Amino acid sequence: MRAAPTLAEGFPDLSGVTVARQAHWGRWLAAAAILVVLAAIGRAFVNGQIEWSYVSRFLTAKVILEGIINTMVMAVLAMALGIVLGVIVAIMRLSSNPVLASVAAGYTWLFRGTPLILQLLLWFNLALVFPTIGIPGLWSARAVDVMTPFLSALLGLGINQGAYTSEVMRAGMLSVDAGQYEAAQAIGMGRLRALRRIILPQAMRVVIPPLGNEFIGMVKATSLASVIQYPELLHSAENIYYANSRVIELLIVAGFWYLLVVSILTPLQMLLERRFARGAAQVAR
Amino acid sequence: MTRLWFSVAFAVLVAAAPAQSAELPDAIKQAGALRLTVNSTYAPMEYRDPTTNQLVGLDIDLANELAKRLGVKIIWSETPFAELIPSLQTKRADFIISGISDRSSRREVADFIDYLATGPQFFVLAENAVKSPADLCGKKVGTTRSTSFPVEIEKWSKQNCETNGKPAIQYVPGENSIDVRNQLKQGRIDGAVQGSETLPYAQGQEAGKYRIVGEPFATGYQGIMFRKDDAALREVVTEHLAAMIADGSYKAILDKYGLGANAVAQPMMNASTQ
Amino acid sequence: MTRPLVAVRSVSKNFGEFCALDRVSLDVRAGEVLCLIGASGSGKTTLLRCINQLTSADSGGIWLDGELLGVREEGGRLHRLTERQIARQRLKTGMVFQRFNLFPHKTALENITEGPVQVQGRSKQDARAEAMELLGRVGLAAKADAYPSQLSGGQQQRVAIARALAMKPMLMLFDEPTSALDPELVGEVLAVMKELARSGMTMMVVTHELGFAREVADTVVYMDHGAIVESGPAAEVLGKPREVRTQSFLSAVI
Repeated sequence: MRAAPTLAEGFPDLSGVTVARQAHWGRWLAAAAILVVLAAIGRAFVNGQIEWSYVSRFLTAKVILEGIINTMVMAVLAMALGIVLGVIVAIMRLSSNPVLASVAAGYTWLFRGTPLILQLLLWFNLALVFPTIGIPGLWSARAVDVMTPFLSALLGLGINQGAYTSEVMRAGMLSVDAGQYEAAQAIGMGRLRALRRIILPQAMRVVIPPLGNEFIGMVKATSLASVIQYPELLHSAENIYYANSRVIELLIVAGFWYLLVVSILTPLQMLLERRFARGAAQVAR
Repeated sequence: MTRLWFSVAFAVLVAAAPAQSAELPDAIKQAGALRLTVNSTYAPMEYRDPTTNQLVGLDIDLANELAKRLGVKIIWSETPFAELIPSLQTKRADFIISGISDRSSRREVADFIDYLATGPQFFVLAENAVKSPADLCGKKVGTTRSTSFPVEIEKWSKQNCETNGKPAIQYVPGENSIDVRNQLKQGRIDGAVQGSETLPYAQGQEAGKYRIVGEPFATGYQGIMFRKDDAALREVVTEHLAAMIADGSYKAILDKYGLGANAVAQPMMNASTQ
Repeated sequence: MTRPLVAVRSVSKNFGEFCALDRVSLDVRAGEVLCLIGASGSGKTTLLRCINQLTSADSGGIWLDGELLGVREEGGRLHRLTERQIARQRLKTGMVFQRFNLFPHKTALENITEGPVQVQGRSKQDARAEAMELLGRVGLAAKADAYPSQLSGGQQQRVAIARALAMKPMLMLFDEPTSALDPELVGEVLAVMKELARSGMTMMVVTHELGFAREVADTVVYMDHGAIVESGPAAEVLGKPREVRTQSFLSAVI
């Protein structure tokens, strides 16, 4: 039997006393104030000069729905191109070959250093610089025929995205413990195979959250392609209000759909994050 | 036709009205200035001079002359074409004089005082083989998508191409008239459409580059837009515009921009049939 | 005298100002178990990493099974081998790291079959069968489908040993294999290493486990400041060291 230690006087036993619930008065007041402000804003909108009938009429108009599809198609394809380019450029950047590393650094500098809308306009108007493009001896075509709004948007968005993605991928690759690369080398893997089998899969876990954000940004960035006549959501909404002058109503229609798409994508991204954390969540004991 | 007679009659009445002048609304008189907004990408109506970057143009000159006669100055602002009507509705602008066509679809929210005859016109690159508008059937034709011209092209194509068994004109959208001319130069489109008032300027800028094909294929008017409830301002402006036409200063301004042929005899209200 | 499996001749390595290896020379016979002991920074790990070319020596030569590592001699000069050639040379050695370095996104079984299938081109079935056998040998057949994060440190290290063995190396290198383990897990790993030694594998082990060295090692090498201070049979170096520095190191450690 263990002898109880002797304790000093004056310190009561509080183990049986319950802890009272905190009232959090400040929080309640703040919440009430915010609700009042939101209600006021809501009322202003309802009483404002918005013809809500136009909003409901065009919410599911054919051109709007087609615009959404075009938006999503472009977002997915441009993001895919951006990821492929990003991985390649990140590997080049981390290469010991100074030529490859410099080219990669130059690409990132150029396409992160100029506004996206400028890049889109340049791709679309490429024929002003190169009326014909092609591979000498093999194939040539008029630049305008090749640089359709679709291709110009894809190249503009995708190549720009690649510059940002390459930085994310590089950070992801550097975040993988150096010991992983050494272990891969120890079993005879060369650099590229080690990257493909061991490093990149682990980098994915670190890379998915920022890439998910980038994709959500890409969905919205496609709206810039409206100026090069790619018929995405904003372009379609604009065409409607150019005809009927209902600017705010149509912008609300477009805004609603962008918001809806993003709200669906956000939890999907969280699911993806969880999948890539498989096997790597806990630190080795 | 009845509308046209009515408008002409009204115009005659306005011109013949006694020297009982309408008054400027108090708000403007007190401010001592008119607030006007233009879409300054539309030479020669309103644009930024490439060398001096000053805001210049036919509309600017007309407005400045009107303001002088009204005894106020002008506070200019610029905005995209699609924002012109909203600017009027939200009272950011007192009236709109910005190369905007008088169209029935726009009269829901405003009244037009027509001051310049115009109409969409086809043009191509000088070396293009196209001789007449009918040669453009089945070809790609571009224009600024935020204007009324896409609809006009479609109408013309139905009447002149499809009814004659020819393929329809393929409309290609552009962001603004500069973008449209760019696409013409690159060969993305075979022909383009602009308001007939803008073509002499474009040809002057790039001599020998473009060739106009045919006449304006729909006649219409450019109008000064007023809010429907703003009759007082509308009447006083109309009065002074009529005076300018009478004393020749209106014609002088038009001639300065090579658009003497587009002059109207009187200011007319809502006279366009489009 | 038979040719040694590993021959190290006058190998030096500097990291900037710091001299990690100072003209080290060493022989390891086939089937020998050699333990490298010494304080940190003495060069033991650097020497090991030069042998499987994770680090490249500044000067000197290392021969494995008669083949010069990392360079070839031509016209009186040394030319570096290509990355591919070096990767091929690494296949002859297996390495076990202090921090295990298992691939966390693969199961224990997949960790072991990765090398044979991807690098050596063996069929998946053969590789699996052999991997299961190796897992059995290290006492972890039941954990084939576990991920590294689900294994204890000792279990992970044993899988790491199996992973290295799957490549059928002729030399096993151990870089402080038990230093990162909780004390109660050290024994299971040492047991596997003992069994491996008894089976005749040539092993070079950097370790602080002097009990293991005494029991299993044929040779013990004490290094200090990048040079070999004393080397000889385990009983001698650990029991009756000749050098003063060896003596003071041992008395500090025991």
